[in-house]
Amino acid sequence: MASALHVEGGFKMKHTKMSSEISTLERTRNRKRNLIPALTMAGPVTIWMMVFVLLPLIYVVFISFMQRNTFGGIDYHFTTANYTEILQPVYLKVIWKSIKLAFLTTAICILIGYPLAYYIARKPSKLAAKLLMLIMIPFWTNTLVRLYSINLIGQPNGFLSSFLMKIGMISKPLDILYSDGIVVVGLLISMLPFAILPLYASIEKLDKAYLEASSDLGARPAVTFLRITVPLTLPGIVASVILVFIPSLGMYYVPEALGGGKVMLIGSLIRNQFLITKNWPFGASLSILLVLITLLMLWLYTRIAKLDEMEVV
Amino acid sequence: MKTRKRYLLFLLIAVLAFSFTACGGGSGEAAADNGELNIYMWSEYMSESVVQGFEEEYGIKVNFSYMNSSEEATAKLTSGGGDQYDLVMPCDADMTGLINSGKLAEINLDNIPNFKNLGDAYKYREFDPENKYAIPYLMNYIYVVYNPDTCPIEITKYEDLLSPELEGQIASITGIRNLFPIALVSLGYDANSTNEKEIEEAYQWLQKYVKNTKTLVSDDTEQAIISGACSVALLFDGQAGRAFAEAPNLKVADLSDAIQLGVDEFVIPAGAKNQKNAEKFLNWLLDAEVMAENLIENPYTCPNVAAIELTDDSYKKNPAIDIPQHMKENYFLQLDIGDAATVYDKYWTMLLSE
Amino acid sequence: MASRKRERKRRLGKGIGNIYAVLVYAFIYAPIAVMVVFSFNDQKTNYYWKGFTLRWYEKLFTDSSIVEYLWNSLFIAIAATVISVIVGTIGAVGLIRFEFRIKKLINNSLYIPIVIPEVVLGLSLLMLFEIIHLPLGFTAIILSHATFCIPFVIIIMRGRLAGMDLSVEEASMDLGANRLVTFFRVTLPMLIPGIVSGAFMSFTLSIDDVIISNFVSGPYSTTLPVKILSLVKTGLSPEVNALTTIMIAVVLTGLLINSVVQVLMRKRALTHTKSYF
Repeated sequence: MASALHVEGGFKMKHTKMSSEISTLERTRNRKRNLIPALTMAGPVTIWMMVFVLLPLIYVVFISFMQRNTFGGIDYHFTTANYTEILQPVYLKVIWKSIKLAFLTTAICILIGYPLAYYIARKPSKLAAKLLMLIMIPFWTNTLVRLYSINLIGQPNGFLSSFLMKIGMISKPLDILYSDGIVVVGLLISMLPFAILPLYASIEKLDKAYLEASSDLGARPAVTFLRITVPLTLPGIVASVILVFIPSLGMYYVPEALGGGKVMLIGSLIRNQFLITKNWPFGASLSILLVLITLLMLWLYTRIAKLDEMEVV
Repeated sequence: MKTRKRYLLFLLIAVLAFSFTACGGGSGEAAADNGELNIYMWSEYMSESVVQGFEEEYGIKVNFSYMNSSEEATAKLTSGGGDQYDLVMPCDADMTGLINSGKLAEINLDNIPNFKNLGDAYKYREFDPENKYAIPYLMNYIYVVYNPDTCPIEITKYEDLLSPELEGQIASITGIRNLFPIALVSLGYDANSTNEKEIEEAYQWLQKYVKNTKTLVSDDTEQAIISGACSVALLFDGQAGRAFAEAPNLKVADLSDAIQLGVDEFVIPAGAKNQKNAEKFLNWLLDAEVMAENLIENPYTCPNVAAIELTDDSYKKNPAIDIPQHMKENYFLQLDIGDAATVYDKYWTMLLSE
Repeated sequence: MASRKRERKRRLGKGIGNIYAVLVYAFIYAPIAVMVVFSFNDQKTNYYWKGFTLRWYEKLFTDSSIVEYLWNSLFIAIAATVISVIVGTIGAVGLIRFEFRIKKLINNSLYIPIVIPEVVLGLSLLMLFEIIHLPLGFTAIILSHATFCIPFVIIIMRGRLAGMDLSVEEASMDLGANRLVTFFRVTLPMLIPGIVSGAFMSFTLSIDDVIISNFVSGPYSTTLPVKILSLVKTGLSPEVNALTTIMIAVVLTGLLINSVVQVLMRKRALTHTKSYF
């Protein structure tokens, strides 16, 4: 469990260095020799991705350019209306709200997760592995049951409410149900592990020598943290951002279960198109939009990772 | 040597896993042959004893899979996987589309003599005039329940739900086709309107309604009124039944507006492998005594009039079922709205993104 | 003087760290604690606390219908994990060691299952299975789960591989071992921690998956999360709480036993060394 997730950029550099040192002749020879091992190793995953991911995705793209027929099926006539439809203010609002919520979730996850990851990283690796596992284990209980348990905690006639009233912290029964706060709590509980794991991996790799050097040179701990630790663990932070932000964008059942169902997010909008309104083309175009947002973020990540490489290695 | 052993172990597990899955998938097909019946319906919606009775009588094993929304049932039928089942339970609102899609098998009424037990209003309906495609199972009303101790106003029509005194007091179910019809009926329009102007007015009605709601969720709606967080609830009669069990002081609001009646239909998918067994099961369900027994654990509104006659007061006087007679007769059904679905969807999205 | 101040600061720092960690773990486990408590609730549906009872546990062991869904989920999770780990591990190695034309495409497509809304992935897989006439059921679910687990395994393995020294493999090949032998006797053992992480991740993702399983399950293969989702309509019964409580109890006990065994083994090692003196 130790170095669970690591920067991919770190390895890219080593690899490119190697290939530039080989002559053209050697490269062709290598390619021939490598063909069979390459096929057996990379073959299965390639076929898998193509059949189960790319093919369906191409189909989704295809549908996004079709029209909806009267009974909710697909009318095979070309149109770009499904994409221009997205530009309407109501849908832009939905997208913006989802992005805001995902952003908030990511920020809080990292703010809370970073110190914890730091704490775990300083423990011996066997203990650290156990601590990390303890974070993941709640996921083996059903997410729905956990979400409804959060609701049970917050009930106005529940234990927490009467306890807080008895000790005088609140005067009326607890009214936190279906509020924004409880939605964030739910999202935190769902996404915190995804933030902590990459952060831990990155912090664990940190060479303590840098920290010691910094304090030897007279920097206060806060300064060391801001100017050494954080920049050096930036790849982990960025990986963590991606692993939290992107799934949060599409996650709708947490806000639905805890938030009282009064706010439409892009995940439920897409689900509505496919299951209720049966407007598959529009649902498809929204899905492709989400995929594009993701690819954009990934591209940004690789840019940042490259920048980081130049400074550190 | 050690790593080779480990590798072989991995391989062995993988092979075993694969062979089990092949078995699992395979036996699914081989066994689907006269001894079985596969049903896709709501969970907790049919008595164990009813199912066991059928299995003993006919020697046919019944397997259930569960859905979480009517749309899922429809999706299974239209986009794939429907023919894995012999009976599927969409709701009546989707029937027109399903019949037109050609994905339903024709039911042979000759194999279902108990068909006569159904009330006349539930046979040969508009969307299925020859009754070739759907057999109604159970039905549910949507109405308003309130706590007489905490509710500040009297509720006699939908419009009362918009009163400012009820701000944050309503626990409501959600769903485009559950809420828009209520607004349309309150405004005097047809519950299944396809007129954009009327839909827009309904949207404005709903804007005020949403302000008064504390929650807009269809799962566990009764939770809020049981715990006292809300004093009014708009919900299904099944949920009302559960609410009454925990909070007997609740009452059903006597509404003069028409209330929605939804019907859960059994259909046979085209290509189903056990159609004869499905028809046997439908006949079994329609038997008056069998359905009467079913109603004990599932006290929902029922289209089987012969069965209702055999029930006792625990069903007939169940507060969730025993609503004023004029309400029972003043209902509307959900019909297919065709292309207007996208219009509804847009206003619904606008409603939830303010 | 200054060093004592620094000592105090360090201890304070450690104290704060411990408190923080405890708070965060408490936060994460609070819903679980509530879930366990309410598994003893004497009420058909968990609306509020009514009284203590053990009848749900009794029901689990005698008359339960939901336990079979647990076996379904476990079986599927194990199968999906095995497949994901195998395909993912060799895939990760293959994608890093070799260059081929569509490599970039495959690399990017790995992120798609992680990112795409589960509704979309579920639906597209459903359509795919319909087209290739694969009957919905265990096979379909396992393939679907593997589809979103493989990318995670690969990302984890890549992290592991990135830190690895290529020269060990080169040394092995220079000494005469061919690629296959090198892979199994040199590369694979070094990858074990990554494989364990990947397997753990896959299992976790599979056992809690709701939306995709919902789309591609068939008549005999309902998983536990899908069943629970359908139960929510009629209110969650404490029986579900009881089942999940037992699941967690088993896992935590396993962890505990593991730690105890490790401590005991370490003690044994120490006493053995002592006996040399």
